[in-house]
Amino acid sequence: MENKRHMGLRTLNRVSNTAIYILLIVISIVWLIPFIFIVLQSFRVESTYQVGYVIPHQWGWQNYINLWNSDFKRWYLNTFIIALAAAVFVTVIQLCMSYTLSRFRFKLRGPLMRFMLILGMFPGMLTMIILYRVLSDLGLTQANAVPGLILVSVASSGMGYYVSKGFFDTIPKSLDEAARVDGATRAQVLYKIILPLSKPIVIYTILTAFMGPWGDYVFARYVAMGTSAGYNVAVGMYSWLTNDQIARMYTTFCAGGVIVAVPVTILFLCLQKYYVEGVTGGAVKG
Amino acid sequence: MASVKLTKVKKIYDNKVVAVHDFDLDIHDKEFVVFVGPSGCGKSTTLRMIAGLEDISEGTVEIDGEVVNDLQPKDRGIAMVFQNYALYPHMSVYDNIAFSLRLQKVPEDVVYERVTNAAEVLGITEYLMRKPRALSGGQRQRVAIGRAMVRDSKVFLMDEPLSNLDAKLRNQMRAEIILLRQKLDTTFIYVTHDQTEAMTLGDRIVIMKDGYIMQVGTPTEVFEMPENLFVAEFIGAPKMNIVKTNLVKEGDKYFVTPFGAKLPVTGEKGKMLAEKNVKPGEILLGVRPEHMTLGAEGEGSIPCHLVVNEMMGSELHLHVDTADGSRLIVRIPTIDLDKEGRSALVGGHNLHVTFEGKAMHFFDPATEKNLLV
Repeated sequence: MENKRHMGLRTLNRVSNTAIYILLIVISIVWLIPFIFIVLQSFRVESTYQVGYVIPHQWGWQNYINLWNSDFKRWYLNTFIIALAAAVFVTVIQLCMSYTLSRFRFKLRGPLMRFMLILGMFPGMLTMIILYRVLSDLGLTQANAVPGLILVSVASSGMGYYVSKGFFDTIPKSLDEAARVDGATRAQVLYKIILPLSKPIVIYTILTAFMGPWGDYVFARYVAMGTSAGYNVAVGMYSWLTNDQIARMYTTFCAGGVIVAVPVTILFLCLQKYYVEGVTGGAVKG
Repeated sequence: MASVKLTKVKKIYDNKVVAVHDFDLDIHDKEFVVFVGPSGCGKSTTLRMIAGLEDISEGTVEIDGEVVNDLQPKDRGIAMVFQNYALYPHMSVYDNIAFSLRLQKVPEDVVYERVTNAAEVLGITEYLMRKPRALSGGQRQRVAIGRAMVRDSKVFLMDEPLSNLDAKLRNQMRAEIILLRQKLDTTFIYVTHDQTEAMTLGDRIVIMKDGYIMQVGTPTEVFEMPENLFVAEFIGAPKMNIVKTNLVKEGDKYFVTPFGAKLPVTGEKGKMLAEKNVKPGEILLGVRPEHMTLGAEGEGSIPCHLVVNEMMGSELHLHVDTADGSRLIVRIPTIDLDKEGRSALVGGHNLHVTFEGKAMHFFDPATEKNLLV
């Protein structure tokens, strides 16, 4: 009798697991279809316009060669410089800010945190016009859009302190104190003790700081104002989708999409373990 | 090796709570001083002020004659062991112990020598390459002590270092701290809430309550002559029995009359009462459980009935109620009782309790101060 019940439970588990896996596989396929589609289109060389089939009739590298010969290199480099600079500066500023708010007690600390939290709730779009004016006055628009966009990404980065502060809060303060008694300065405490213990959140901060500018379109377009030298990939490639260009550039656009996805995919594949820990780490780490 | 002097040290938090009031203490070179008291009495705050981990609101802290109020912890010549060990989880035991030396840019061969020496003294050589998470509580505590040892500091601070250990390990580590103290031969300041630790480790004990020092003295002094009721009850386990009663003077002899009994204050205590010319009247009488004995019925004993009998192995703790319902605890060595006597001590059993004059402590009911101090 007991044995039978166990058997029943085991069968039930197996059935439900199988159902879950089938569902997940279906979702994954649906998820992957656009990517596969873009990759296949990027290798289609028999025509450059949109067609009604997926598998290319003729395969080749022509679209990638076209990319190489276009402004794409410049846009890609622009985007990479912005994203890399943002990743470095935003990470440094955000982690320092989070550590400060987690460990130091100073006047108006609470109101400052609340103020930044509330300010962060307003959509970034609201500030676009004034930011453009400021950048324009500084001469950081159009062909100089790259430093302008870096400045915008970095300037408000301290406000994103919440997740990493939550993580730092879970690291016992006595570690800081022990290190200070051992002879470490505050900065040494941060980079010798706290940061090595916060790898997931450091990786998470780097990734999010990199991803923001990498996929930015609206603000980047606004700041570049039609000057190709100041475009990032999203803005530049979008210019290929106009009515007069799309028939000539569609497959090149697909090739550009693949190239854009490469560094982000590599980053995620290498760091996904930390990324998941980082997203959930601050909340549950005991 | 250094002396530590605290003068009128005060800690006021931002919310105006005063955690430590006018703390005055001279700690001599190579002395082992224990701060003891219940939670929230300010003992850890005081230690942290000495360490430089808390700002000093008022007063001065001197180490080796130098005022250190404005010095960073690293510049005070102290080493500290924390309650929760505070080991760096991402470093091996070796790196944990070597951390402070490397910050001082000590050559790596000297680091190696000092770390391995400390590890040998503490018996953790075989764990040097392990991470702290792979160690037991006792081993972690040894690493924490090792980390403090290699710094060659003038003052060794310990903040409840044994609180996270189980009872058996705590006893073992306590003995090891005594040995360590002999080896290091330096000044120790130790914080604990456990009066047994305070009594066994300290050259002098500082008993604190609500941010005030209640008494400073050697273990013998605080045990035998507590200055006030708080110290009398805090030191000793089970705690001292306190009874409200009358002090009576007949001729030049004093008597106490707890629960209808009449007991003479004999010996030294009687003489001291006479010398201090203590006036008869209502007092709080204190008698430690181990100084009470079972006696025969008569004027010199208090009739009680037994409520609970706790068998502790080497002794019995008898919780007895007097006629008016007051609860007393009597500690009887089991070796003093034969089998029949022991089996008679069951709940509800009536018995008589007595004590000698030399075991009595007298406190003023209003000020709670010891009348003989």
